[in-house]
Amino acid sequence: MTDLPKKDAFPKDGTKTYSLVELVKRAPTTMIEKGPDNTVFAFPLVALIELLLSLGLGAVLMLMSLARNAPLEEFANPNTTTDPAKAPWYFMGLQEMLEHGHPTLMAVIFPTIMVLFVLAIPYLDNNRQGSGRWFTSERGKKISWYTALYSLVVMPAFILLDTNFPPRELLRGVVPDFIAQVMVPSVIMGIIVLLPVLILWRQKPTAREVMLVLFTLLFTSAIVFTVVGFFFRGPGFELYWPWNMPDGYSPFDNL
Amino acid sequence: MTHSQPETTKSEISRRNFLGLSFLGAFGVLIAQTLGATLKFLQPVAKEGFGGEVFAGRVEEFAIGSVNRILSGRFFLVRTEDGLLALWQKCTHLGCSIPWDEDKQQFHCPCHGSVFNEVGEVTGGPAPRPMDLFPITIRSGEIWVDTGNPTQRSRFEADQVTDA
Amino acid sequence: MSALVEALTNSRIWRSIFRHGWPDNPLDRSLVMTSNIFLHLHPVKVNRKSLKWTYSFGLGVLSVLLFLVLSVTGVLLMFYYAPAVEHAYTDIVELQTQIPFGQLLRNLHRWGAHLMVIVVVLHMARVFYTGAYKPPREFNWIMGVSLLLLTFGASFTGYLLPWDQLAFWAITVGTSVASYAPGLGDQMRQLMIGGPEIGQEALTRFYALHIMVIPALIALITSVHIWRVRKDGGLAANDSEE
Repeated sequence: MTDLPKKDAFPKDGTKTYSLVELVKRAPTTMIEKGPDNTVFAFPLVALIELLLSLGLGAVLMLMSLARNAPLEEFANPNTTTDPAKAPWYFMGLQEMLEHGHPTLMAVIFPTIMVLFVLAIPYLDNNRQGSGRWFTSERGKKISWYTALYSLVVMPAFILLDTNFPPRELLRGVVPDFIAQVMVPSVIMGIIVLLPVLILWRQKPTAREVMLVLFTLLFTSAIVFTVVGFFFRGPGFELYWPWNMPDGYSPFDNL
Repeated sequence: MTHSQPETTKSEISRRNFLGLSFLGAFGVLIAQTLGATLKFLQPVAKEGFGGEVFAGRVEEFAIGSVNRILSGRFFLVRTEDGLLALWQKCTHLGCSIPWDEDKQQFHCPCHGSVFNEVGEVTGGPAPRPMDLFPITIRSGEIWVDTGNPTQRSRFEADQVTDA
Repeated sequence: MSALVEALTNSRIWRSIFRHGWPDNPLDRSLVMTSNIFLHLHPVKVNRKSLKWTYSFGLGVLSVLLFLVLSVTGVLLMFYYAPAVEHAYTDIVELQTQIPFGQLLRNLHRWGAHLMVIVVVLHMARVFYTGAYKPPREFNWIMGVSLLLLTFGASFTGYLLPWDQLAFWAITVGTSVASYAPGLGDQMRQLMIGGPEIGQEALTRFYALHIMVIPALIALITSVHIWRVRKDGGLAANDSEE
């Protein structure tokens, strides 16, 4: 090592006061090869924005708290189940799913797949292009809206059909429960999820566009199932119109 | 690096790597032990069910064909023509308490609409198996139900009924 | 006025607390961020693109603010609440009827919790639809998803504490789901609720999780999350070509 001549990749020129220090091939920071500086000092601007947000939030929360009291029912009684018995509203999507298949499938396997999928998104779509812009492109925006529309039609239709013609009851005693409660719902869900992906496949989508379809499907369906479970399920966990619940029950009792 | 001895005995692993790996392994065991002990600590001191033997009443108090709720034992005492059954009130779907619907002669769970007949078989809804049973012993006409030992079953069979 | 500011910011007491002068010049505006443990999660300079209201809707900031509101109201509620099945319900009733502003405080905590779940979910959707999970921000997406799950956990464990019918049956149904996990499902459920049925053990465990374990994890991971936003180049809006 020592007998090698010291070679400087970018020798300093004694007459210059600046020199090239390093060449960066791929941008590890965001400031390289970017346009003119478009920044402002974070203080006090960002601090002010945060202050405004906290004031607004405080006002909204205070108004909500003055408008409506937190619910408190009778003392817990293990012998009498409330009718209906509902989970907290953000788990009503899960409880609604439980109506349509075996609990292991609906409450364990599907949610696990969903969480793993969501965690895997940045590794499935690892192209740096197109970040920092809503829907990445006009096409992405169109794809997202069409998928949302599709989910808004297909998922309520599935819930209605499955409630009125439940394979679990129609096939009870005909085929093993495993087929009626695990296989049938899995196949139906698989078709519902794969259909828009296959349609998109013919348009040669980017990874980002496939993610847009899958995430929109997941997100919109989660909203549909949560809304149905929270607003439309009444006593006996039957479907009712939210404004027409029997026995004086109101969906808002469960907040 | 010029050794006169043949290098047949020289191991693939250097002393430094060996010590490093041993340390790493020991450290791993330590972590595993700690996690295992924590898990064991958090594991509840298990008692199945919730209680011991519950006195349900005398045999002659229960009419044939009746379904009687025993609140203190959290079960239903069913008297069929063949004898007695103690059905745990807990729904096998998600653990709600199931009330008996006298008009429709069925158990109807309010949580997800599971329906069971008078011997606890699933006749509708998402419940995966019939209602669990508690063992019954009859001592000189008194019915005692062991609520500490619920038994799961996949279907109703005649030998589950206790003669009375 | 400026003489007063000058005198104040050069005083030994001010200088012992803040290592910079009045932030009206670039140097002190940089130092105000870099020399303050709370503010240093911010960058010194921000891109105008990332400040656009319709880009982020301020959802991340709102999540943090809601967490702070819930921490403060939660600690205040702890002063009047004991997690014992004989006490819990009556403590809440007493809080609502006897304690000045008790009902208001409980309302703030309850509605704040619901709002936090909504805001965190919307924040995730915003990050997804703006493609802000893309490299180099993959790991921060994972942190964010963990925070969403922890938010669910915080809200769910808190749901049991009033010990009313609503709480009891929601948690019975919610935890029974865990027992359907293949293999160790029932053990997992028992580990969660400390016994075969919801009772004192479940209340104790949920209380410990709700007031200590989950908030501590949320605070820790939130710190990593915000720090990584800065380290990964700020909001992804900065990288967009527009």
